[in-house]
Amino acid sequence: MRLSNVKTRSETGLDHVMQSINVMTPFGKKRMKEMKPFMPGEEELLNDEFRKLEELLQLAEEKPQTVDMLIETFMDIKDVGFTIERSQNNALSVVELFEIKSLLLKMKTLIELLAAAGYSLSEEFILEDTMDLLDTLDPRKDRMNTFYIYDDFSQKLGDLRKQKREFELSVRREQKVIKQKIEAQYGISLTPKFDYAVSKANKELVKIIKEIPELITGDEDYISVTFNLKNTEEIDLLIQEMDRLNESIEEEELIIREVLSKAISQKSAILMKNCEKIGELDFTLSKAIYAKRTHCVKPVLLSEHRIEIEEGRHLVVEEILNQKSKAYCPVSIQLQDGVTCITGANMGGKTVSLKLVGLVAMLTQYGFFVPCTEAKVGLSNYIHILIGDSQSMQRGLSSFGSEMEELKEILDQSKDRSLLLIDEIASGTNPVEGLALTKSLVEYLKVRAYISLITTHFDRVTVGEGIKNMQVRGLANADFRKLEKELRYANRKERIEIIQKYMDYRLYHAENDEEIPKDALNIAKMLGIYDEIIENAKKFLNDGHE
Amino acid sequence: MGLLSQLKQKYKTLSIVGMAKNAGKTTALNYLIEEAMDDGVILGITSTGRDGESTDLVTGTDKPRVFLDQGTIVSVPVKLYDLADAGLEILRMTKYSTALGQIMLCRVAESGYVQIAGPVNTKDHKKMCQEMLELGAEIILIDGAIDRKSIAAPDTSDAIILATGAVLSRSIKKVVEETAHIVGLYQLPVLPMGDARNLLLSASDMEKIMLIKENKLEILDLKTGLSAGKFLDEAIDENTSYIYIPGALTRSVISDIHPSKMKTVEFILKDPTKIFIDAMLWQQLRKKGFTVKVLENIKVAALTVNPHAPAGYSFEHEALLKAVKDSIEGIPVIDVKIGGDFNETI
Repeated sequence: MRLSNVKTRSETGLDHVMQSINVMTPFGKKRMKEMKPFMPGEEELLNDEFRKLEELLQLAEEKPQTVDMLIETFMDIKDVGFTIERSQNNALSVVELFEIKSLLLKMKTLIELLAAAGYSLSEEFILEDTMDLLDTLDPRKDRMNTFYIYDDFSQKLGDLRKQKREFELSVRREQKVIKQKIEAQYGISLTPKFDYAVSKANKELVKIIKEIPELITGDEDYISVTFNLKNTEEIDLLIQEMDRLNESIEEEELIIREVLSKAISQKSAILMKNCEKIGELDFTLSKAIYAKRTHCVKPVLLSEHRIEIEEGRHLVVEEILNQKSKAYCPVSIQLQDGVTCITGANMGGKTVSLKLVGLVAMLTQYGFFVPCTEAKVGLSNYIHILIGDSQSMQRGLSSFGSEMEELKEILDQSKDRSLLLIDEIASGTNPVEGLALTKSLVEYLKVRAYISLITTHFDRVTVGEGIKNMQVRGLANADFRKLEKELRYANRKERIEIIQKYMDYRLYHAENDEEIPKDALNIAKMLGIYDEIIENAKKFLNDGHE
Repeated sequence: MGLLSQLKQKYKTLSIVGMAKNAGKTTALNYLIEEAMDDGVILGITSTGRDGESTDLVTGTDKPRVFLDQGTIVSVPVKLYDLADAGLEILRMTKYSTALGQIMLCRVAESGYVQIAGPVNTKDHKKMCQEMLELGAEIILIDGAIDRKSIAAPDTSDAIILATGAVLSRSIKKVVEETAHIVGLYQLPVLPMGDARNLLLSASDMEKIMLIKENKLEILDLKTGLSAGKFLDEAIDENTSYIYIPGALTRSVISDIHPSKMKTVEFILKDPTKIFIDAMLWQQLRKKGFTVKVLENIKVAALTVNPHAPAGYSFEHEALLKAVKDSIEGIPVIDVKIGGDFNETI
């Protein structure tokens, strides 16, 4: 059974957090991709995950240099899983051997870095020593990140190559002697490639050169002839010998590659395990660095189904505000099984608060720290956020239609310990039926063992036994005279920002019979809707009340 | 001292560019490699794209492979590594990738034939050359673009070696004329530091045609001059001192511009590879007072000539060498088949 669907992961902001986490290695990326949420009953495992995260957070705080160096080491680690597998039955190529050696050097660096930091980290992060395999691949022990089937791998290879080089030199020496002899005897000079081009127009010269016994005719066209050095018997023999040597060298290189591949294959289990550990270290470290950067804390896990958030910040919204160098107004909220409604002014951040609860719950269950000063979370079996999006239009459904479709899914899927986050349901239909539907839904949900959080503008929904009403403080305490003064000279963009500045996004627990403040007309007016319309609307409102 | 040893003192990276396909680019490269072997120069060898195939992919003619000596630093993509006949010590896996896999920098441990390839992107290429120098190469030879028309940009390398030869024409006169024309274009004067240059550079990223009138920049909403000749003619008035064309400069771009305006306005191009005007028309235009400057020109470090054409005809070695030398001053010229003297000109 899934904890949540794709839309919930993206709408709550979990996807955003995952994209912001800077995992460097292919193993870390794999680890992140295979990440699974912790479900109720797995609190112990989750606490262990948090402990590891805390451990690396502490490392990042106390030894930032070590962490920088770890990240640098992670940077160009390649995924060699396939190569390690291949080593079982194949002779690896030189490039593959190079990649394994590079990885072994990386492992060595990681082991040394963590040892030097003097930190005893969890077993999950500690790589097993693979120095003996590195020695096998690095016979000179110079620990350079380079590779070649060096002469040092076998005496035989070294000898063969030396012989070949000697033959090459002999050939060249022999050719040079002949070259010098020809040059002295005939007064011509050959190129470094030991050839000589003559124009055919110079018939006499062609004739003379043709007579030189040490040269043979090479390329020829109608303008010129190129003569090459003729191989003496001795040179021919040497070349034959070299061909034979080349074959032996290739054979010997293959044998060495086989030996090395076998050595790798024998250690493959350790290597694979180490890769996994690198992935764990990389992924957890990235999470720790993200938690540090965004001031996230470890959530306290509860056995009962409750969620308490102290001064929570929605990370996506906070990031946007930070870019504009504005401060985030944190929101606190306590939830338990039953229905909680969030009501209050337009632009009061109701939806963001709803998403915040989702984000904190999702982050916790996926093993991340959470953006609050303190959070207590009881794990859920099912988390779903029902929120209007643009996709329904693309599917050709009306907003109400797709909302109902999704609501049905939620009701079908929900079970004990569900967290349902519902944003202004039935706002897309007529208010009479919308209210009735919402009220009835609340009645249905309030007796179930779900935490249901609903944002709504409908007044009377929030009244009744077992329904908690949270209200946005909104503009209630704002100094309207100052606000209006500021708005007078503002342009469109500034107006929104000014209202945001005066808005108090915090929630407070409202009494059941408390009426929801009516701020819609005020805000519409502030945003520049003509007085004529606003005044008329107020008149209609009064008529209705009377 | 060979040509290469002398070039080494002036340049760190040299592109070898052919005037046309089969102008003897690879022969020129091999010639320089041999010189390096004799002089004990540690070479870096790379190419823009793949090179060193035994047959040329486009024309099917034989293409000599590149024989590299011990110690040479070379860029080889992963998939070509095993095809090399030389012994290659892998020094570094770079982050540049090609269709043939990631590029590795290798040191030749056992001399032999190698197929080379390098990054396609100019920026990457430059960075990689820097890495090769760090690894100990004294001078880097870049087997450049297939022909001069696709040469990336002047900033790929410090200078180029231009390979020319019989392939251009059956007439020596024509070969020389074409070669001299290109060398002339490459070495066109650079627009000197100053207001005009700064103005143009400030907006050159937009890739629009620009005019400078009385020290003020005017940007036309035209990217290329092709088929825009009439607009250009209209835009140029007596106050126009410069016109900048970001794209190609062809006959059609200038054909509609009134001859009297040609004399008063200076044409500015990004670099000389943007010019697609043949030698004859170029001469005629010059006589009419047509002046062109570039933001960046191309240094020609040396010329190589190849008297053989793949079509089967050849020139006299000395005749071609002499004809080219006589018409192009100040640049060393060598015949890649027989060598040649160059000391006089360096």
